[in-house]
Amino acid sequence: MSEKSARQASISTENQTGGLTIIKIGGSWRIDQPLPSLNFKGDQVKIVSDGLEDFDSALPSWIHHNFKNVRELDLSELPKRLQSLVRLAEKNTQWKSEDEKPNLLENFGVWGIESYSSWGRAMDHIGQTSTGLFRTLIGRSKVNWSDFTLQLQTAGVDALPIVALLGFLTGLIMAYVGLIQLRQVGATVYVANLVALAMTREMGALMTGIIACGRTSTSFASQLGSMNVSQESDALRALGINPVEYLAVPRILAVTLMVPLLSLFATFVGIFGGMIVACAGDLSIDQYLNQAIKAITFKSFLVGFIKSFFFAFIAAWAGCYRGYVAQRSALGVGDAATSAAVLGITLIVIADAIFAVIFNLYNF
Amino acid sequence: MDVTTPILKCAKLCVGYGDVSVMKDISFTLERGKILAIVGPSGCGKSTLMRVLGGLDEPMSGSCELLGVDLSQADSRAREATLRQSGFLFQGSALFSSLTLRENIEMPMREFLKISSSQIRQLAEYKLACVGLSDAIDKLPSEISGGMAKRAGIARAMALDPEILFLDEPSAGLDPLTSERLDDLILKVRESFNTSIVLVSHEVPSILHTADYCVYLDSDTLTMGAYAPPKDFLDPKSHAKAHSFFSRVVTPK
Repeated sequence: MSEKSARQASISTENQTGGLTIIKIGGSWRIDQPLPSLNFKGDQVKIVSDGLEDFDSALPSWIHHNFKNVRELDLSELPKRLQSLVRLAEKNTQWKSEDEKPNLLENFGVWGIESYSSWGRAMDHIGQTSTGLFRTLIGRSKVNWSDFTLQLQTAGVDALPIVALLGFLTGLIMAYVGLIQLRQVGATVYVANLVALAMTREMGALMTGIIACGRTSTSFASQLGSMNVSQESDALRALGINPVEYLAVPRILAVTLMVPLLSLFATFVGIFGGMIVACAGDLSIDQYLNQAIKAITFKSFLVGFIKSFFFAFIAAWAGCYRGYVAQRSALGVGDAATSAAVLGITLIVIADAIFAVIFNLYNF
Repeated sequence: MDVTTPILKCAKLCVGYGDVSVMKDISFTLERGKILAIVGPSGCGKSTLMRVLGGLDEPMSGSCELLGVDLSQADSRAREATLRQSGFLFQGSALFSSLTLRENIEMPMREFLKISSSQIRQLAEYKLACVGLSDAIDKLPSEISGGMAKRAGIARAMALDPEILFLDEPSAGLDPLTSERLDDLILKVRESFNTSIVLVSHEVPSILHTADYCVYLDSDTLTMGAYAPPKDFLDPKSHAKAHSFFSRVVTPK
């Protein structure tokens, strides 16, 4: 960009006999200044200089935009450099031309094929993960133990504070809501049953699963997506190592081991949170604890544990899967992280609903 | 800027990382409209030197004037104004992956030019047409090939009509034919826009085809080994290491 000029860009048109239009251009044509607009219909044009002072790419871009479809364009009376700039933008046959844009029907077809293939990829990844886990369990596959222990730390121990906080607040909120309702029928003592049962059977596992999706799934998706971008996954494949087995299995194992423990922790913290509210209201600590212990059975714990085990698998798998299929770009990695959280949470809620029906059917 | 002012002028320039100097005693002057190639063995600091020349990094010592402005001494406003007059193509093209090619080109224009959207659109279409990407205008960077990404990178670098272009290994990873076409494009850009170009390259045929001058960096002495037109290095009497670099011809066994 150079200094500002005195005269603004100007044009004037002159129609000649035989369909030729002469366009006179003058003034200074700069990319940081507004350009004149032109309503032109014709297929024979001659552009001439009429006091043309200076120009940068504003002028050739203006000519390119307005006259690219004109049959005969005569620039012979313009400066050589301008002719060269206009020619540079002419359809260059040395570069391969791209395919035409697909129409609506083709777009629909592409969407259908992509949806079908994304299901296929998901099933393929589940298959590879299951095979990898099975091979690991029977000792036919080496686990990347350093990755496994690192994930135990990051997905498990490092999550303790957030699990404690959310578990505590969940118990607290349930007790608060329960207390208000139960006070109306004089049954405030049952707030302990409500909190204890809800935390062991439902909320401990659900909250921990959702935290795992928000924390761990997105982290896995970003890690594996970035490895796709830097072709580390390809490097593993080239070395004859199955990337799903090498990267996903230790992560899924670590999360599946840690999340049930975190869920148990969240359950106890939640019951404690409920106790704070209950005891600030109508109950003593002894009353609350006795009532809570009566309410919780081994079956309730088992239900919560089974759920948290599945939720953990879903959260870890969603992260690994979305990272594995992430596009090789910064945008792809971001999308993978977002879709991992969405996929994980959706599947966990669906799984929870299915569990509710199953446990109800079998009176569990 | 006065047209007689050299586009790039270095004196006793020393570049490096942190406290470690990787190359020193670099002195040369580049005139407007000329193409300079920076060559040398791998890891000798070519890209580091180019980042310093382009004002992306600070020199350790010495001076480097870009468009007559010593960027290490200039205040932030003068520095930004000068950087706006230069364009950069990075090794990996560095296109913004969430934007289409058109949006990538329009982005600097929207940032710095106070003109209408339609005019910006028109300019972006022209710049992409200049690099032969009219048909890929609405594609995302992830949907195009490496060669196309390089050309789109050049179009983005040219977005604000810079006085000087810095191209970091423009033909790296491209097949010989695509590489040759890219060389032709670089020459056309120079011819049409009268843009000065500084490029880092390893490819001798490409350097001989495009460059007017060549800086050879000597990784043994960590200094600028030679500065001359590239064809001069084909002469055995020229700088021994530069000659050895340029005369390396692959012969079938």
